[in-house]
Amino acid sequence: MTDLARMIATKAVSPVEVVRAHLDRIAALDRDLRSYITVCDEAALTAARAAEAELMAGGPVGPLHGVPYALKDLYDTAGIRTTGGSRILGDRVPEADATVTRRLAQAGGILLGKLNMVEFAYGPEGLNPHYGHARNPWDRGVHRMAGGSSSGSGVAVAAGLAPGSLGSDTGGSIRIPSSLCGLTGLKPTYGRVSRAGVLPLAWSMDHVGPMTRSAADCALMLRVIAGYDAADASTSVLPVPDYGAALTGDLKGLRVGVLRGFFLDGAAPEVRAAVETAARVLASAGAVIDEVNLEHTQHVGGAGLAIVGSEALAYHAERLRTRAGEFDPDVARRLRAGAYITGVNYVRGQQVRALVRDEVDRALARRDVLLAPSTPIAAPPIDARHVELGDGPSDVRTALVRLNRPFNLSGHPSCSVPCGFTATGLPVGMQLVGRPFDEATVLRAADAWQRLTDFHSRHPVLG
Amino acid sequence: MNDDTNDLETLRRGARVAGFSWSDAELEEIRPMVMAGVRALHALETAPVAEVEPTTYYRTV
Repeated sequence: MTDLARMIATKAVSPVEVVRAHLDRIAALDRDLRSYITVCDEAALTAARAAEAELMAGGPVGPLHGVPYALKDLYDTAGIRTTGGSRILGDRVPEADATVTRRLAQAGGILLGKLNMVEFAYGPEGLNPHYGHARNPWDRGVHRMAGGSSSGSGVAVAAGLAPGSLGSDTGGSIRIPSSLCGLTGLKPTYGRVSRAGVLPLAWSMDHVGPMTRSAADCALMLRVIAGYDAADASTSVLPVPDYGAALTGDLKGLRVGVLRGFFLDGAAPEVRAAVETAARVLASAGAVIDEVNLEHTQHVGGAGLAIVGSEALAYHAERLRTRAGEFDPDVARRLRAGAYITGVNYVRGQQVRALVRDEVDRALARRDVLLAPSTPIAAPPIDARHVELGDGPSDVRTALVRLNRPFNLSGHPSCSVPCGFTATGLPVGMQLVGRPFDEATVLRAADAWQRLTDFHSRHPVLG
Repeated sequence: MNDDTNDLETLRRGARVAGFSWSDAELEEIRPMVMAGVRALHALETAPVAEVEPTTYYRTV
């Protein structure tokens, strides 16, 4: 996106050509990949022509002027249907944009379309029976999970059907598909980006953030979407820094704590090896590496269930009473299970949340970032139900969310970046976790890593 | 719910308390998930949180 923005601003390439190239690629490949629910072809071309005219007239342009992007289909878009990946909201056309939709448009971005996702964002595998299962583009032989819930965002950006997108992350829904599809995905601090106009899964755990090919692209999108919003009471009044200016490439003295135990020791051997190698590469570039354990991770699963299960059911209760048959049966089962969570369970979850938050804060008191795998496994086949982890067998769903949810509970920013490939050619991701509202340091570390490696710039081979 | 949430009548009563009326087939479908959830929720009781004030929002500054 940063390259496109520069090339468009300098008139090296036309926004019309860029948008048309992406629409052509969507038409050629997405019947198989299933990354889009709605493609805004005519509107995108019209906007691109307008952007080109503005450029030629010499007027001021925004940081994303003429640059196409796509949105997970839970961001409200005025006049364009927003389904939440559901059949129930299949014909829902919002009257107003989400705050972030509006900010991207004001920055000059051009919406290519709305992206596939797990119904109502409730699931990490990336499956959707209504609009088709988005297909991980890194394996043309085996249909593998894209990861979710922002499955279409992962697939579209990895396959070159959009240069960047927004996902949302309640238990890893940005970082899981970023890891499985080889992207750079940032879950910002809770309160950094407005959730107004975004269909919720669990209000107190939902985070809005970019999914792109590089840390520099994440920095560009975050600068545009971050900041206080009167429509979202949880947003911070802290000023939004110039994240791009923070990308110095300098790792000297950066204190990196490698999260062992629950995080690294539980990962599959290839994932663990990739992250350990990454730590050595960071050290060779001047970072100061040590190891750290978080003790309260054993309670993260129960706390996440108590909070997400309760909030999700509260949001969908009326639909579950009146339109249950229209839900994805798997999502309906998970929602129903939320009925057995008590008020005391919910409060216990929030108490554990405080415990985890304080523990992560303490770990970051003497370190700049923490390092861990994003997911303990690479993309499993779409019908896989169980996997073998470093510390024993696990069901796929638990494995995918395991390393992400601690930072949804704690609210700390976390960025997943590609850190290698398995022997069979599947991407492996690691996450860099930073202090609250210090996305600049997280992105600086991620960008410096990407200046040392080329994992983020590799592309899947597609027909 | 308690660990002995393993019969449909207990699940049905729990659903009614929460304001739902589900068929036996629907209750049977969710029984394994509810049981696993109950175990995870009970484990929360071992967390050292007696003096910890619950979070509502993460932090707003």
